[in-house]
Amino acid sequence: MILPTTVVGSYSVPEWLERLKTEYYQRRISAQHLAEIHEVAIKAAVKDQELAGIDIVSDGELRRDNDVDYFLARIPGVHIPQRAKTDYFDYYDAEVTRPLPELPDDPGQSATLDLAADFRFTRQLTQRPVKFSFTGPFSLSRRIRDGAYSRPGDLVRALARRLNAEARQLAEAGADFLQIDEPFLAGYPEQIELAVEAVNLVTENVNATWALHVCYGNRYARPSWEGHYDFLFPAVKAARVDQIVLEFARKGLDDLRLIGQHGWDKWLGFGVIDVKRPEVEPAELVASRIRRALEYVPADRLMINPDCGLRHLAPEVARQKLRAMVAGVAIVRAGLEGTEPAEKEST
Amino acid sequence: MDVDLRPVRKLRESAAARSALGPIIEAVCASPADLSRLRLVCDWIQYKQNFREPVVGRPIGGPDLRGTDTEIAVDLRRCTDIDLEAAIKRALEDPGGLALEPWVPGRDSCIWRFNALYWQALSDWERATGQEYEQSLPGGESDARNTEAARELILELFRIWDELNARRALPDELYVLELGVGNGNQARTWLDEFVQLDRRHGRDYYRRLRYLMGDYSPHVLERARKAVEHHSERVSALVVDATRPGITLGFLNNKAFLVYISNVYDNLPTDELACIHGRTYQVQTQAFLADDDADHIVGQFGTDRPALAKVIDRLLRIGPELLSESAPGQFPDTRTAVGFWRAVWEALRLRERYVPLEGLDSYQVTAELTGEILRPLIEGDGDVRMHVSNGALSSLTGTLPLLHPFGRVQCHDLFLTGSRQYRTGFYGPGKYDGSVVNWVNGPLLQLVASRRGFGVQFTPFRQRPGSNITTLTAQARD
Repeated sequence: MILPTTVVGSYSVPEWLERLKTEYYQRRISAQHLAEIHEVAIKAAVKDQELAGIDIVSDGELRRDNDVDYFLARIPGVHIPQRAKTDYFDYYDAEVTRPLPELPDDPGQSATLDLAADFRFTRQLTQRPVKFSFTGPFSLSRRIRDGAYSRPGDLVRALARRLNAEARQLAEAGADFLQIDEPFLAGYPEQIELAVEAVNLVTENVNATWALHVCYGNRYARPSWEGHYDFLFPAVKAARVDQIVLEFARKGLDDLRLIGQHGWDKWLGFGVIDVKRPEVEPAELVASRIRRALEYVPADRLMINPDCGLRHLAPEVARQKLRAMVAGVAIVRAGLEGTEPAEKEST
Repeated sequence: MDVDLRPVRKLRESAAARSALGPIIEAVCASPADLSRLRLVCDWIQYKQNFREPVVGRPIGGPDLRGTDTEIAVDLRRCTDIDLEAAIKRALEDPGGLALEPWVPGRDSCIWRFNALYWQALSDWERATGQEYEQSLPGGESDARNTEAARELILELFRIWDELNARRALPDELYVLELGVGNGNQARTWLDEFVQLDRRHGRDYYRRLRYLMGDYSPHVLERARKAVEHHSERVSALVVDATRPGITLGFLNNKAFLVYISNVYDNLPTDELACIHGRTYQVQTQAFLADDDADHIVGQFGTDRPALAKVIDRLLRIGPELLSESAPGQFPDTRTAVGFWRAVWEALRLRERYVPLEGLDSYQVTAELTGEILRPLIEGDGDVRMHVSNGALSSLTGTLPLLHPFGRVQCHDLFLTGSRQYRTGFYGPGKYDGSVVNWVNGPLLQLVASRRGFGVQFTPFRQRPGSNITTLTAQARD
């Protein structure tokens, strides 16, 4: 299949779910109840993606309170003094006061985040390929007060080794498409070499297709930084990944030139849907963006996705945006194959 | 019977306030009210011009005062010189008077039409009163003239811009937005200071500066524009509804480094909600003129009583100048029409009732926000009555998306900084010259901004110690 469609990771978090998550962090509902609520929400998210026609689906990251704490709260050695929250989406105040504990030799014992269990739950919900994403070591490190390491990069490396253990477990569980998210990297462009080194630690000896997602932040549906992807190159070419997943819909297509300019010869996950605005893109606009991308990347190395996670969009808007994306892809596919789109969707 | 004594500081300070309590209780007990269904609320209304009689009655949960729980509200400041027994008896009866509108939520009351008229026809009002509106402010001038405050802000901007510049992330155009421009003094002070500091700084940021002045009134904008004529290449003036800035300023999304707002939020429409015995109520209001006042105005301006409400409505629709032109017999010149306006405004009163809310989500705070957001503030901590500050909230939530990731909103205004303050004071509505003033629910703004990823801090307005003005600063967090 050319131009496969996928999501970046997170799916729309409805207001009622946000409230229930907050209730949990204020100790008003139990962890067991919240876990059951999450399972129901994940089933619905996967179904939504299937109905929209997404080729490679995700669990919507609906178990996660935010892009960082779900991981930090489970990593031995990361100290979180206050685990109750006023709002579930707030970040914890996390610190390390001594180097993270050494990993046991047995990978089964070192994978303390148990991301494989999350993957297995999603895997049995759908026949479609599943992408599983997690936040990368560089971004995780930015939310930890480091009182342990004399060289700042060592915390990033230690986190990367932890995530590598998780990735191995994920691969053993059958995960074959993994994605590292680095939402904080654009704010620290001068540290791209360190981030790439850490990415390579994460992916080391893990037999899966790897994607690296770098955006300008999507916390509260706002960019955390502004700028261009120039900083990624050429360093990112040394990353042992098969794909970079970048945002273009919100920022414009100018940075496509970097793909050609730097000879990026792997896959591009091309962001065609602006996840920070509720207006649904017409399918034809999506198609025109893809056609522009095809000027720089051949169709057999182009994957189509939204700019970033859909978590801040209302459920119906998220569904409509995904349908628009799929419809836009159908237009381009039909053009490439010399056929009519199978189904024209009005979006 | 519940007794809610709010002005705790005044009770300590004022012997008169303390000595009024006994007679109030005596008078309530002498009334025919069912004491088991009565709430007694004592305030200290600091506004000499306001919308209340010293003693008023408010039905709780029913359409009128018959057969429902009732609240008697007393202004301790004004109750010592009146016949309390008679006043409380009157408060429990049908208040009569000339109603100028049906029962409505506070934000829909016609007092906001008066408020809007004040800003639209400010020149007419100023000519009639013989003083500019700045002179009616405490201290006789706006805080906008304060160069020290401007300098602090500008130097902070320079720091951010230098950092972004070092990372090649500084945009070509550097946007600063002022919402509610008054007479342009703030803009002039700020821009003059900017030029001086920029010369010293040596980065030529002034050349890249885009200073946008937004105001709801074209007349006010024009006056402000003249005040900054010497910066005309850097300044643009736009008609902006402060409660919906995104409509006009969508092009500014994620671009503004500073949004400066001074004394606007306290002047925007607001509802009030209350929690009484665990149940949530909306405070509905009805503007009216007392019979005596209506008769006096009728006599003074030669209109007839049945037509008075219509003439007032006409004034609010077309303003004093056109009112004079359309009814020269009654209002031979604009000055007379303004006289009519001022007389009505001075006499204008609000009556109130508490209407139950069927679920917080059934109440729309702004177009995008339901009352669910209020839950942490209004429920779970006993009886409270608070402003929803709908206009201010709508303005802030419409403004935050305009901010550059390193931008900030700075707002000088009358803010409550803690919810408990509602239990210890009166925060409006009051009359401020021809406008309406309500203190702004700071904790609610803080909560809503927090849900959008912004940290909000309140600090005393340092440049004028002792002032009630508080500075709100909102910036992206995390």
